[in-house]
Amino acid sequence: MTGAVVWLERTSTGVAGASREAVGVARSIAGGGPVVGLLVGAGGPSAAERIPVDRLLLVDAPGLADASSAQLAALLAAAAAASGADSMVLAGTARGRDVVGRLAVRWGAAAATNVTDLVAGGSGELHVTRPVFGGRASETLELPGPRRILAPRPHAFAEPPPASAAPPSEALVLPDGFSALPGRGMEGFEPTVGSKGPELGEASIVVSGGRGLRTPESFHLVEELAESLGAAVGASRAVTDAGWRPSSYQVGQTGRAVSPQLYIAVGISGAIQHIVGMVSSRVIVAINSDAQAPIFKVADYGIVGDLFPILPALTAEIRRQRGLTGSAPG
Amino acid sequence: MEIAVLVKPVPDAETRLRPDPAGKGLDPEGVKWVLAGYDESAVEQALLLKESAPGTTVRAISYGPAVRADEVLRAAIALGCDRATSVEAPAGVADDPLVTAAALHLALSRFPASLVLCGKQTGDHESGLVGPAVAELLAVPEYGVAVNVRLDAGGAEMTLQQSVEGGLLRLRAKLPALVALQQAWNDPRTAKLPNILKSRKAPIDRVPAADVAAAVAARLPLATRRLAFRLPPPRTGAKMIEYKTPEEAAQKLVRILREKAKVFP
Ligand SMILES: Cc1cc2nc3c(=O)[nH]c(=O)nc-3n(C[C@H](O)[C@H](O)[C@H](O)COP(=O)(O)OP(=O)(O)OC[C@H]3O[C@@H](n4cnc5c(N)ncnc54)[C@H](O)[C@@H]3O)c2cc1C
Repeated sequence: MTGAVVWLERTSTGVAGASREAVGVARSIAGGGPVVGLLVGAGGPSAAERIPVDRLLLVDAPGLADASSAQLAALLAAAAAASGADSMVLAGTARGRDVVGRLAVRWGAAAATNVTDLVAGGSGELHVTRPVFGGRASETLELPGPRRILAPRPHAFAEPPPASAAPPSEALVLPDGFSALPGRGMEGFEPTVGSKGPELGEASIVVSGGRGLRTPESFHLVEELAESLGAAVGASRAVTDAGWRPSSYQVGQTGRAVSPQLYIAVGISGAIQHIVGMVSSRVIVAINSDAQAPIFKVADYGIVGDLFPILPALTAEIRRQRGLTGSAPG
Repeated sequence: MEIAVLVKPVPDAETRLRPDPAGKGLDPEGVKWVLAGYDESAVEQALLLKESAPGTTVRAISYGPAVRADEVLRAAIALGCDRATSVEAPAGVADDPLVTAAALHLALSRFPASLVLCGKQTGDHESGLVGPAVAELLAVPEYGVAVNVRLDAGGAEMTLQQSVEGGLLRLRAKLPALVALQQAWNDPRTAKLPNILKSRKAPIDRVPAADVAAAVAARLPLATRRLAFRLPPPRTGAKMIEYKTPEEAAQKLVRILREKAKVFP
């Protein structure tokens, strides 16, 4: 394997953490060949100045800040052609995975998403491990060559150390037929009411609340704990069905599947439909008044007790430890 | 107008997973095959669109071993889909999302639709690749993590929302297109008993395995090969934190998260 292209997904503050992790993965499969970053959207190379790639390809077009996956797939294929790379790595975000599906067809490559581990085979083949069935099992896949696309699961790989100097950059020539590709057709954005933290599917810490909170008003105890940790807020279906919080909060079989570094379940019994959405989290903490609650079977650490005094004490302790002020969120 | 909804048979959530004797896949013995969770949302979305636009027909399409595919197609018919296509997997063919996409693309070339719906991923392999790959093969745009699709302009256009970081993105798009549904925002209906009984006798169109084998042949050299399928070591149950006051519980937990689990931010 020689050379890899990485899509550097832009965020409002630079390049997504998951894309920086992807750069590390690209380095380990590039076989000593160059790792090339592709940066698409408004703005010059400054967003990627500490990213340890060997070269940056730029498509500096404000209209493409919100490029469709068809457009991104075409740009990535052009970047691979320009650099001679035979591998690509895209962060396994929702957008990244959509691009991988199209790209695997367009570029004619083997592809695997949700990758959590790599084993480079001896004679050029690549083996990857990925969780399946909501983390209740895992599989090892062989990706045949000559071309391969990987989407590592966010948080599964460490970010590589930043570069000491900015990589050389040049503009990518738009491929033929690019202007005929459909854009995304964006019309507007409706922010989720009351959500300020990171996005549920990508957060490294998730705090979820269940029916044990008893009322929609007391759910703010969960939100304050989440805020003290910089965590995303999730909920069981009991909470979303009752309308305490919107369905976008729901974790589980019919909600979101999450796999953060730390998942804290508060007042959640641990029904199988909830478990399948969070069991692949690295560390699970459960707080529940019922010592027999099934959630304790999948948790690493448990606190048996009434959440109403425990949550404020925990939030206060975390704020104290992190040097945060104790003011209630506005 | 024609709507196609792609549905996959997956093991029921309560299935006790077990590797097969070779350790290379799930042991199918005794597994109950059901509609994948997000696919249920896709079926529900298709039926809501049908109810909103008279003259719309909904076709469920499933790829896999025929017995399993038929099972979920009948479930889709019982829910209200008009027609069904079983795309028969050739024996021993690689179980790879891009191969699946090529097979579904063949079915869609025989039973064309202006709107293709599917779930954003299935609860088994969770690759999320089939929808966008089918869209690329059809040369139509795809919209992932979608909720709440509405048809406008007599079915020539649609508006939909994408569930993204911090909220919902509203999009307007032209058909034909493929939409991959996010979660059960639409609270899928359940089938009524008489419809379940009727669905047992409903006709199912077939795309024979030999045709599928020819259509996926070009993709097979690129298919991933499963070398191992494993269960994680059983979780041993939570280590319970002993405490006398809520403050003590909080301090102990924070210390564990920081020093032992190393996940304190
Ligand atoms: C087809 C299907 C799909 C489903 N999909 C999902 C899904 O995606 N996600 C999901 O979450 N559920 C899903 N469910 C529902 C699931 O089966 C459970 O009903 C649900 O998860 C229960 O939510 P809960 O744990 O909040 O509530 P409960 O099961 O009522 O548990 C509440 C818990 O709070 C504890 N508690 C009460 N008071 C206190 C207190 N003061 N302090 C501490 N603890 C307290 C109790 O001991 C109990 O364990 C699905 C069900 C079906 C049939």
